[in-house]
Amino acid sequence: MTIYSCEHEWEAMLTCIYEAWTSRKGQQNIRLVLEPIEQYTLFDEYIHVDADHEKAVKVMDAINQKISPFFYREIAFCSIAYEPYILDNIFRVLLLGFAYGEQALNMVQYEAVMDNRKIRKRLGMEVEHFKEFIRFHEVAGRYVAHIEPKSKLILTLGHAFMDRMPSEHWMIVDDVHMEAIIHPMNQDYYYRKLNEEELEQLLHTEEANDEYTDMWKTFFDAIAIEQRANYRCQRNLFPIWTRKHVVEFEHN
Amino acid sequence: MYDLQTNLTLDEKLEILADAAKYDVACTSSGVDRAGKEGMLGNSRACGVCHSFAADGRCISLLKILMTNHCTYDCKYCKNRKSNDVPRATFTPDEICQLTVEFYKRNYIEGLFLSSGILQNPDYTMEKICEALRLLRTKYKFNGYIHVKAIPGASQELLYSAGLLADRISINMELPTQESLGKLAPNKTMTNIIKPMNQISSTIANHRLAIGKNARMERAGINDHLVNSIFGKAAMNGQDMIFGENYAEIESSTGGLEELKRDNSKLYLPAERMDLNLKRPFAPAGQSTQMIIGASGESDFDLIRTTQSLYQSFDLKRVFFSGYIPLNEDSNLPALDTPVPLLREHRLYQADWLLRFYGFHAEELLSEEKPNFDNRIDPKCDWALRHLDIFPVEINKASYDTLLRVPGIGPTSVKRIMSARRYGKITFPMLKKMGVVLKRAQYFITCNGQMLYKIPIEERFILNQLTDMERANTIKIEGSNQTATQMNLFTDFGLQTSVG
Ligand code: SF4
Repeated sequence: MTIYSCEHEWEAMLTCIYEAWTSRKGQQNIRLVLEPIEQYTLFDEYIHVDADHEKAVKVMDAINQKISPFFYREIAFCSIAYEPYILDNIFRVLLLGFAYGEQALNMVQYEAVMDNRKIRKRLGMEVEHFKEFIRFHEVAGRYVAHIEPKSKLILTLGHAFMDRMPSEHWMIVDDVHMEAIIHPMNQDYYYRKLNEEELEQLLHTEEANDEYTDMWKTFFDAIAIEQRANYRCQRNLFPIWTRKHVVEFEHN
Repeated sequence: MYDLQTNLTLDEKLEILADAAKYDVACTSSGVDRAGKEGMLGNSRACGVCHSFAADGRCISLLKILMTNHCTYDCKYCKNRKSNDVPRATFTPDEICQLTVEFYKRNYIEGLFLSSGILQNPDYTMEKICEALRLLRTKYKFNGYIHVKAIPGASQELLYSAGLLADRISINMELPTQESLGKLAPNKTMTNIIKPMNQISSTIANHRLAIGKNARMERAGINDHLVNSIFGKAAMNGQDMIFGENYAEIESSTGGLEELKRDNSKLYLPAERMDLNLKRPFAPAGQSTQMIIGASGESDFDLIRTTQSLYQSFDLKRVFFSGYIPLNEDSNLPALDTPVPLLREHRLYQADWLLRFYGFHAEELLSEEKPNFDNRIDPKCDWALRHLDIFPVEINKASYDTLLRVPGIGPTSVKRIMSARRYGKITFPMLKKMGVVLKRAQYFITCNGQMLYKIPIEERFILNQLTDMERANTIKIEGSNQTATQMNLFTDFGLQTSVG
């Protein structure tokens, strides 16, 4: 078995797919993994692949032209999932795509397609979760939110919040992957990688005193009906580990 | 009717007026897609967005508040009724707007749900509500979701304004018959509820026609594949757009049918001309209502039949059920220690789904002879058990309608089955991956002529298997395993009370 590995970044992933594909080793004999590799195996051959813009573009064009732009968008979206086998899965789905066209995505009789749907669904829910439960804090007329997602999903949030608040200054910070999107009032949002120092500074935004946060807590407590209390249901719908940064669950 | 405690802070008012509003169950922000606009705040997504879950497990999507909890009416079941001694407060229109936009910007909510007690009289109250909404849409440039409660008895012009400012408008029916209303809500009449409901329906329809849409609200896509759907042409007798004619239940309880027909499709001008200039569609997310479960004597059959006619006659988008919570002592009401009928409410919602997404009719689920749902088993399994002669059905051949009748198969899995059938034969492992609950479905289906296990198609056997599975759910809903366990021991194994 030959194992191709690369960083978790779209261009590198496409390059990795390119190398695996052009190696002509036969798809049963190769596997694609994301770095860092947890455990090396003794008898396999490992090949590290660096991002190569030209090769990546070749794969991109091939998918768009030979399959469809829709197909491309679908797998590009999946590529941000945190599942370590996502790269290998994309590779397998892609092979099916080249064989059967766009409809490959519906061919659930293939393991890879089924797995892909599972990842897509999970990722979709993760993205949705943040659209719903991100909490902004007001700091001098600007709105700042912190998130700690498993997947690198910050770019999937930009459009939703730009549509929601086109004429506010706001910013969403991913504390885990150290990246942010920044939206100046009435303009497009942009992406920024953050360094330690910047992140450190931004972490204090949640400490600012915000009277509406207190009122929201008042509302949150008042709106529940005691006679129907159901903490189990609340926990199922809003698991405790996902409540970080969600102000109504913070008790000081 | 003025605030005695004028020195309440905004936080204190919020506590009183959110607490007073919490018994209204609707909190969805669904039904309308609207993109954001530069210079405005907010958008809307048709699927609805939930922003938190309260301690009772209910989703929080909107800032649900009353404008005031002062009330000149004295509905027996209500905490805010005139005769109760409770802390009272009233928001100013500006306060309502500030809370809405500030919560919205922090991503706490999708919008506002504004209801109110009756301040002086219905018109005055409705006017105040419209004033707050108008301010929110103009001065505060709020483009998010608004659900407004129409006050029964308010004038048409005001209702028109409310519909232009809000996305969804609702009038609570609360009790499905004039008799129960007379007993428990002496200041309300069925005509006062049905009449505006009808006017709102026809105004929505007219607005939809004017912009080239179908007069009736969109329904879940699956209904297009169902011959039998309550929203289908056949069920509507081809009278696509005549509201107030397809009455069945409601007619008998109101008696005002003739008047309603005359009223049909009349459009009044809004109270404030300016509201037309906003160029908003009239209640684009439609109309909804709510009924209280367990405060009066209606059966599940009464409730679900009324629900069906509300969908058909008034094209309501949703009908909500609210398990009665005893708040007041009254000889006409259940005692204060009566538990909230959560399981009954749950069964009614399941039945409501069967009407809206599965092509069932109320009359298939219940009858005069069997007027209430079975506690042990959900309405769909119950139906299937009474129709074992049509099962098992072949997954690779059955129609949309038939597949949807199989317990454990929902609209999403049906769509998947249909699309996968085009590429080859479906097998049991594939069904599992498509989200079919085989534990339930196995008794009712074959794949390529084979059942999953050799199982007798025998009512009692399947009932026991299914109730066994359902018990865990029932316990979760009821919060106690008492009744469920007992029932099962006795019916399943014929155990005597003296044992254990
Ligand atoms: S009208 Fe009836 S239900 Fe509404 S607030 Fe007043 S007393 Fe309560």
